[in-house]
Amino acid sequence: MARDTDVIEASIPFRLYPSHLTASSLSAPFKVDEGYSDDTRSQAEKELLHTPSEDVMPIPDWVSTHSEAERAEIAYSLLRTLRTSTVAAVVERLSPLLHMDPVLKLPPEITSEIFSYLDSQTLLTASLASHAWRSRIFDSRLWKKLYIGEGWRVDIDAIHAFERDHSGFSSPQSRKSRSRYETDLGEPKQKKRVPPGWLDSRAAGSDGNGSNAPIFEQHAVPKADREGDFRMCDAAVREGTASSHTQNAGSRQGAPRDISPSKSIQRAPSQSTKSSLFIRMPNGSVKIDWPHLYRQRRRLEDNWVKGRYTNFQLPHPAHMEEAHGECVYAIQFIGKWLVSGSRDRTVRVWDLETKRLWHRPLLGHTKSVLCLQFDPSPSEDIIISGSSDKAVIVWRFSTGEKIHEITPAHDDSVLNLRFDHRYLVTCSKDKLIKIWNRRHLSATDEAYPIVHQGSGVTYPSYIVDTREIPFPHLEDKIAKNHIRTLLPYSLLMTLEGHTAAVNAIQMNDDEIVSASGDRLIKIWNIRSGACIKTVVGHSKGIACVQFDNQRIISGSNDDTVRIFDHISGAEVACLKGHENLVRTVQAGFGDPPGSKETLRLEALAVDREFLNAQRSGEAVDLGPAALRRAGHQQNTAGSRNPRDIKALGAHIPPGGGGSKWGRIVSGSYDESIIIWKKDGEGKWVVGHQLRQADAAANASYVAQMSAPSRPGSARGNAFAQQAALAGHSLPTPAQPPASASTNITQPSQPGNPAISPQQIADQAPSLHPQVQGAPSRPDPPNGPPLMNLIAAHYHNQLRPTPTSRVFKIQFDARKIICASQDPRIVGWDFVCDDQELNEACQFFTGL
Amino acid sequence: MAETNTQELTFTSSDGKNMKVPRDVAERSLLIKNMLEDLGEATEAIPIPNVTENVLTKVLEWCTHHRNDPPTTGDEDDSRRKTTDIEEWDQKFMQVDQEMLFEIILAANYLDIKPLLDIGCKTVANMIKGKSPEEIRKTFNIQNDFTPEEEDQIRRENEWAEE
Repeated sequence: MARDTDVIEASIPFRLYPSHLTASSLSAPFKVDEGYSDDTRSQAEKELLHTPSEDVMPIPDWVSTHSEAERAEIAYSLLRTLRTSTVAAVVERLSPLLHMDPVLKLPPEITSEIFSYLDSQTLLTASLASHAWRSRIFDSRLWKKLYIGEGWRVDIDAIHAFERDHSGFSSPQSRKSRSRYETDLGEPKQKKRVPPGWLDSRAAGSDGNGSNAPIFEQHAVPKADREGDFRMCDAAVREGTASSHTQNAGSRQGAPRDISPSKSIQRAPSQSTKSSLFIRMPNGSVKIDWPHLYRQRRRLEDNWVKGRYTNFQLPHPAHMEEAHGECVYAIQFIGKWLVSGSRDRTVRVWDLETKRLWHRPLLGHTKSVLCLQFDPSPSEDIIISGSSDKAVIVWRFSTGEKIHEITPAHDDSVLNLRFDHRYLVTCSKDKLIKIWNRRHLSATDEAYPIVHQGSGVTYPSYIVDTREIPFPHLEDKIAKNHIRTLLPYSLLMTLEGHTAAVNAIQMNDDEIVSASGDRLIKIWNIRSGACIKTVVGHSKGIACVQFDNQRIISGSNDDTVRIFDHISGAEVACLKGHENLVRTVQAGFGDPPGSKETLRLEALAVDREFLNAQRSGEAVDLGPAALRRAGHQQNTAGSRNPRDIKALGAHIPPGGGGSKWGRIVSGSYDESIIIWKKDGEGKWVVGHQLRQADAAANASYVAQMSAPSRPGSARGNAFAQQAALAGHSLPTPAQPPASASTNITQPSQPGNPAISPQQIADQAPSLHPQVQGAPSRPDPPNGPPLMNLIAAHYHNQLRPTPTSRVFKIQFDARKIICASQDPRIVGWDFVCDDQELNEACQFFTGL
Repeated sequence: MAETNTQELTFTSSDGKNMKVPRDVAERSLLIKNMLEDLGEATEAIPIPNVTENVLTKVLEWCTHHRNDPPTTGDEDDSRRKTTDIEEWDQKFMQVDQEMLFEIILAANYLDIKPLLDIGCKTVANMIKGKSPEEIRKTFNIQNDFTPEEEDQIRRENEWAEE
């Protein structure tokens, strides 16, 4: 083959000297070859496959004695003697020889480089070229890059742990449980107290700002580790597909997972199912199969786009006695743990795998729990909650004991709080934001406040301006105890500036962003308390806010979600879809690595286009009102049309940028949740609108359908049943009315009539949270006739009272969980009962 | 032109041909650059054992054209991944037969000339883009070694990626 191509090349005059290297001298004589010749189309397949040596006549000896250039001349002269059609045939026959397979010609590291320029679709098509291509294309590193490039995230620690745990042994199961047993024996005893699964969440634990979806990982291998503490046999069993089995059983059929050892052993056979999650290397080590992960993530994202999900609820439908007594204002989940705070004054910790309460409700607040944050990692192990009783309570996550209480933290309801390892930040209806230290703090510590001489921030008298005191002097004063080390949870400063209740705060590194009923978003420096900037945009009060380094996302009483450029404060998108106050929002833009510069360039291009349009006299700078009169409805959901641009100078493009998988989820008092996605042009559109009530109905319905054999076990909780009924959602009617009426008159008035967040916050719960006393009786398969119920309960109301206003949502890679007026917490799981997907999900994190 | 640096080196190709190369042109190759830094002065001919004269000539042509480009700082630039655009001169430069194209890529890899390697890889990537498997086979003279059943199954497996 090489011989024959030489013949072709021989026609090229190769008398070149390095001293005159020019483009023309070299490239001109070459045959222009775009790599694809139509000539070969007509070529019979069979002929293409032949190796030249088989059907080429032997060359006479005298020919081979000549130089390449001479041989070329001979060949050319010979060809000239032929008829044109014969020449054409020869050319056609030679043509395939000009084409050669890069996969055979180039080493894997270079083909991998080539393939790295191609998208997944092109690669899959190319993988059909041949076996060799397929095996080169299904290269783990390549698909890892593709995965990361999509803006998807993974829990890399979980992957490394998985690879480590599965590597090295011919019989990994038996060996692993032994090795685990050994490690476990070496562990300090008190660690056994740690609830299973929480090491999984360590990575997410310190994520104080919540700006990205926390990591959710259900059955990461470390979990098996800890179960190994008690049952070695189980440690080996509970991995891979086996664990996804049990997970599904728990969530779908609602049968609570029996964790007795005997049960676990019974599950062992399903373990033999081969997992496609990893590839075993010849040396026995195990590597994650990235093409598989990519494929599964893509399928998961498809489920989000197409709205395929299953519903679940907390508590498990068979254990309604564990439910909150009233509406749930706050939730957060990390890994397998979810913590909720309710109007029933309690904080509850849930195990998302079993859907069961983890330990007894945390009692301490005397009014509604409005906000909370928790960190289950062993180094923190805390929950902090804020309440309309004006207090902030710090709890130990693992035990539920109260560690600390700040009473009162504010002069009015504590509406939101965030913490990181240094600070706790609280905001209140009293219009103030307060910053507290988490740990002992000396004046020489890095985290000690930097006193800022300006309005808006006040410091308690015990905070000294360290810059006014020369350092040796300062040390001296500290040594003499003139400046005391601050105890944990001392007030460091108070930020004043909002003129209405501060509804929401977030923190990220050294910045705090706050959103208030005064329609303003403010950004503050956490070290000094200085207000750095104020962002104006919403036309009514703001209920929720989230930010990252590049954008601020907020939801408001003006029914919109807006996105602002963090740097310039310019509004880059306004999302209209809700019909009532937007109470909660979370965004995942899916920024691939190194995207910041890309975003800036995109923003510049948009500005340039606007200015060009302006220069060429297009009606772009007339302002929204004039544009509307001119017949143009300004699209501000991220359109890049110059006529839709509201502000120049942003550092991020309209819509806020990010990958095409970007997602915003917002929850509203219109009782719905909207999943916003990007359309083909990058504008935010309503992908799906989910209703809390539907999810609640599905979750309990599934449970009833699949757990029929345990009469009496599904004891009814009055609130939950009632809420489900009022949520007009149970699929089938015709039930014994008697039991229903009993339900109505049960302890409280759930589904409180329409009230503003402030009102809600103000109201003391009307009853005690203990609902376990609800009479135990066979659960009616379904509710009573719906209309009767509503009529009976709300007969004097003009319109149906909202019963499922959404208070808080959180999403991660696979699910959305929602707290609402309903005492049940409901969720949408986009894994949709797919086992392969469920298994892969242990490594997926948000966008 | 940078006439200040007139030092010339001599390369010996794998087929034993010597060629003179200005030092700044030669230093587009990080392999050579690092070698020179280690050696100090190179008085003798530098053997380039993996590259034949005709390919080396072509590679040096590229280096000459790009002798004044700012030095590459490594692969921190991830945004380049997004595009397979190639500037016009380079595009023309890469209009060679496939054997030469692959030889240039191999030489650029060996000599550690990252921008040239990138252009070569992009050129091949562009030859794959937008083609059916059959067209890809023809482009590169690839023998289809899948049975129709295998091909069917792979197509089915790939369905998830279709929009």
